[in-house]
Amino acid sequence: MNLIREIWQSIVRRDPLSTDKGKSELVFLNVWLHIHPAKVKKENLRFKYTFYLGFITFFLFVILLTTGIALMCYYRPYPPQAYQDMKDLQFVVFMGPFLRAMHRWAAHAMVVCVFLHMCRVFYTGSYKKPRQFNWVVGVFLLLLTLGLSFTGYLLPWDQLAYWAITVGTNIGSYAPFIGSQVREILLGGHTVGEAALLRFYVLHVAILPSAIILLTIVHFWRIRKDGGLSRPVWKLAPNKVEQLVTIGAPAETAPLKVVAASKDKTYGLMEVVTGKPIFETITPEEEEDAVFSYPYAFFREAIALMVTVTGIMVVSLFLHAPLEQLANPAKTPNPAKAPWYFLGLQELVSHSALLGGVLAPTLMVIVLLAIPYFDRNPSRRPSDRKWAIWLFTIFVVANLVLIVIGTFFRGPGWAFVPPWIHVVAGAE
Amino acid sequence: MGRKLPQVFFALSTLALVLIVAAVWQASTPSWKDYQRRFFQLEAQDEPNAVTKAAVLATPPQIHQILLPGLQRVDRCTTCHLGVDDPTMKDAPEPFRYHAGLGPHIPSKFGCTICHGGQGLATDVKDAHGEVPFWQDPLLAKSYIRASCGRCHKEGDVPGVPELTEGRRLFESEGCHGCHKLNGVGGSIGPDLTEEGTSHRSPEWLERHFLAPNVVSTGSAMPNFHFTREQARALTYYMLSLTNEEMGSYYSSVLLIPSPEYGRQLFVEKDCIVCHSIGGVGAKTGPDLLAVTKRHSLEWLDEQLVNPQLVYPGSSMPEYDLETNARKALVAFISAATSDDAQEILGHRGKALTAEDVAIEAGRRDFARFGCAGCHGTELQGGVPNPNAQGGQVPSLLHVSDDYTKDEVIQIIRDGKVPPLDNASGPTPPLYMPSWKHLLSEEDIHQLVEFLWSKQQKSKESW
Repeated sequence: MNLIREIWQSIVRRDPLSTDKGKSELVFLNVWLHIHPAKVKKENLRFKYTFYLGFITFFLFVILLTTGIALMCYYRPYPPQAYQDMKDLQFVVFMGPFLRAMHRWAAHAMVVCVFLHMCRVFYTGSYKKPRQFNWVVGVFLLLLTLGLSFTGYLLPWDQLAYWAITVGTNIGSYAPFIGSQVREILLGGHTVGEAALLRFYVLHVAILPSAIILLTIVHFWRIRKDGGLSRPVWKLAPNKVEQLVTIGAPAETAPLKVVAASKDKTYGLMEVVTGKPIFETITPEEEEDAVFSYPYAFFREAIALMVTVTGIMVVSLFLHAPLEQLANPAKTPNPAKAPWYFLGLQELVSHSALLGGVLAPTLMVIVLLAIPYFDRNPSRRPSDRKWAIWLFTIFVVANLVLIVIGTFFRGPGWAFVPPWIHVVAGAE
Repeated sequence: MGRKLPQVFFALSTLALVLIVAAVWQASTPSWKDYQRRFFQLEAQDEPNAVTKAAVLATPPQIHQILLPGLQRVDRCTTCHLGVDDPTMKDAPEPFRYHAGLGPHIPSKFGCTICHGGQGLATDVKDAHGEVPFWQDPLLAKSYIRASCGRCHKEGDVPGVPELTEGRRLFESEGCHGCHKLNGVGGSIGPDLTEEGTSHRSPEWLERHFLAPNVVSTGSAMPNFHFTREQARALTYYMLSLTNEEMGSYYSSVLLIPSPEYGRQLFVEKDCIVCHSIGGVGAKTGPDLLAVTKRHSLEWLDEQLVNPQLVYPGSSMPEYDLETNARKALVAFISAATSDDAQEILGHRGKALTAEDVAIEAGRRDFARFGCAGCHGTELQGGVPNPNAQGGQVPSLLHVSDDYTKDEVIQIIRDGKVPPLDNASGPTPPLYMPSWKHLLSEEDIHQLVEFLWSKQQKSKESW
């Protein structure tokens, strides 16, 4: 028994979890958990405030990494074989359809969740000082997510993939001066072919995942440094808001204050390093709002993880990922549609190539990046930011409406066809 | 706060476990395993030896596949159709029944889908039979399967499939090329037919379409050729056989069945009678071919057709670029040919040709080859309806010389022509003269015009 206890101790190296010290040590002696604070505010854990969308997005990414690596074992990024490998996944590989469906649905879900997460951050004003730059990192993460989804879209090498990427990259080529060059570099030629498939594969399994992992690390680190998960600070008394301090934030806004600690206080690792208590345990009253990360935060995160995983699994059990016929450059489907998240752009392109292919996406990205620096209103209280909320809502609704029109209301020749009218395609 | 969290987490973890088990169960109970179990029971049924019986029943289920790189396909049909090459299964119920009468087309060399269609890679019934969205090649109905013979046997007669030969003949004689491209040759008014056999159109659709193009596909420019049911069926067979899939050399080497009929056709085509005689009938430049197979071995004759100089130095016989089976067909014909055959061939051949005749003859061939007859008629009489074009139909070519000079006609063939409208505000006529300059050389066009003018003279005489 002693040996077992000794081995266990050599692994965990902390006091029992029944003690406060043990709960703290669980966090800061563990390389994977120490991105968390030892204690968190109850407010931080409120589901209705963040909807855990950031966590869910991250968990979806973890699902995508694991299923993606498994799929790599069965996939050759070369035209006819790529499609045959899809068929083999469908018909021969054990649990192949389930694996592919999980990857597919998690990918769509991640695009949705990243977008919803961005909306939540905007509506709660969580991008405001000191988190401006983390919003910028978040916008890049959104773009990388779209890039990952887009590059993955081509890999099955069926008609759906081929023409979605052809249309998608054509939209990109409307950009003046560089558009067609960028398209050529991306595709390794003028049309979607072998070279494009290989390049998209390399982007999809190596370059973009690496980039998204690196930026995610920055994103999480910044959240931790900026006082943890977002919470409705405007509900705090005004004098407390003034006391909020962030490591690395400019000193003149709110100087570090040394506050007498209560005698039961546990110190976070950062406080030991700086020798001063900071933000998270600022006063004894605030101390009462805080709970240990274990079990309160960790179980909630674990539940979010399990809900995400089981949700994707349930969908994948019943809905298999689509696979159309082998890509055929000579047979254009009518209409040929980009992936759904680009259908808003395609809809705009159908009215004006310059507007939809160049101005709208460029402006969208620039405006998104500039939001935290452009919005000088320091308040995060919704009632103080009516204009911002209205404008952003219009942006979100316009995007959704365009995507819905592009997805469901466009038929052959990009003519307006309501989804309840059945068009016989290819009748001659 | 959060008192129930561990319980919720535990419940969700249990759910995840259940889902994983469900996914594993879903993946490990495919329908083909059921079929294999039933087949093993069928096999074991009449097995007297208990040990063998147990061994048969205990055969581990596995996917069977026939790899056919030469046909660019992998057929997994035999995963369920286990008795297809087992004659003892000739009375077994489907899907286990033996496939009789395959001749040399054994499943291990040909698979199944090359003839039957369907999705060879699939391992469940619906997908394998191709009756699912996004699979263009569903199982062919029994009455159309013989059309698949034409996928490999692209030329010559296929015994037992007269429809194919008739379909090909009709396609040429009716001038389908005029509007439809096939392997890069033909007009652009109708759809390209090179891959028609792998397109999504069903055989029934094709057949109805040939009987009444305008009924099946409203607004079609295709004229009604008033085909009989048999002709429509023959053309449908031909359409179904059209693919541009690459075949390995094993399959293309048997493209032509070396029948004597095909050999006779080649004998006429290559004009052998110009140098050779059979039983004294014909030219005397080359040796008489009566019973030539008794004098020379088949190998010798075959080599003589490939490289005459090698077999017989100083031979004046030209080298012919013939496929293996074309040479076999030729030899098969010659081995049984008599002076009567030679007489008949000579009779059809007619007198020696002048340079002008040669040009006219070439023009006649081009007229047929590029499908001009499709619109202008086999006798150049025109008359195919073309709504809202002047005269309401495709013009006859019998009086071209009255209205145009040769140069003008050359211009029209080269660049095409849209017919003048009957009613200027009406719809565009469906048929028009395509531009032929990318398909026809200047020489071809001149020969065509010579052919047209030769027809003019005749028609003037007949007035």
